[in-house]
Amino acid sequence: MDNTDLFIIETLTKDARTSFRQIASALNVSPDTIIDRYNALQEKGIIRGSTIVLNPKEIGYGSMAVFMIDISPVKENKNRFDSSLILETLIKMRNIIVASKTVGDHDLLAIGVAKDFRHLFAIRNEIAAIPGVKDMEVSFWTEITKLSPKYFVI
Amino acid sequence: MGAKLDEIAIAIIRALQKDARASFAAIAKSCNVSVDTISKRFKKIEKTGVARGTTVLLNPKSFGYDCVASFGIQADFSHIEEILHFLKKMPHIVFSTQTMGRHSIFALAIVKDVANLNQVRETIKGHPMVREIITSIWVNEILLCPENFDLPQPSGDNPIGQH
Repeated sequence: MDNTDLFIIETLTKDARTSFRQIASALNVSPDTIIDRYNALQEKGIIRGSTIVLNPKEIGYGSMAVFMIDISPVKENKNRFDSSLILETLIKMRNIIVASKTVGDHDLLAIGVAKDFRHLFAIRNEIAAIPGVKDMEVSFWTEITKLSPKYFVI
Repeated sequence: MGAKLDEIAIAIIRALQKDARASFAAIAKSCNVSVDTISKRFKKIEKTGVARGTTVLLNPKSFGYDCVASFGIQADFSHIEEILHFLKKMPHIVFSTQTMGRHSIFALAIVKDVANLNQVRETIKGHPMVREIITSIWVNEILLCPENFDLPQPSGDNPIGQH
């Protein structure tokens, strides 16, 4: 990555819809250069994608929660539901916005958005019903703080 | 609570969730309206605060940050604000919030490696009002699914974009 790449990244982090022509003229290069660089950044996986950052509160979501999930050990788990399968199920669930396997106190971690308490309970129950999920701890918050949306959009 | 969105606003949001650079011409065509309508509606979505903007999602690994971890922190209630303030000033902490439930505070860190993670953890633990800290290192895919947001049902009365 050189300064041109870093300038493209910095500009698009602030506004992903900035026109390539605008970036090109700021750098005094041709728009084609910027397009090639942008495509290369995507191919190398440096830029994983682009998205619109919604404000959950404005679309009716009052709170967010982190679900810390433990799965049954294989011995008790006759059908051998492994964590990859559970992760896949989690990420297909409505209202789950981030999920990952974790090393530490729990096996999986998911972050979700909820409209209200009733909704939070419903999400918790839906996760608890996934085969292989043994135990779960939940922490939730209502103050949705602004996050630097560089690597994560929460 | 919450803004009302009409079908065009929802079509714009859904398209931009997948690709923030999606062409307004393509969205206009799929909605059977003019490009101008889409561009005006998009401005309104931003202005009303439904969206905070658009961004590219970067891979932390490409920038030398190989390790993502979250912390569950227990603290004295009277000092939670103080600890949050302390966390927000730490360069590796990208997200921190007061929570109810298992922990008093939940925080997310992006760090170079496990040694770096340990430094961050020690720093938090070194705060005199932190009672307990639980660390989880995120492995494998960290999946981001902004499209899992359920949007409000399209509404006919006074939706975003009507003048």
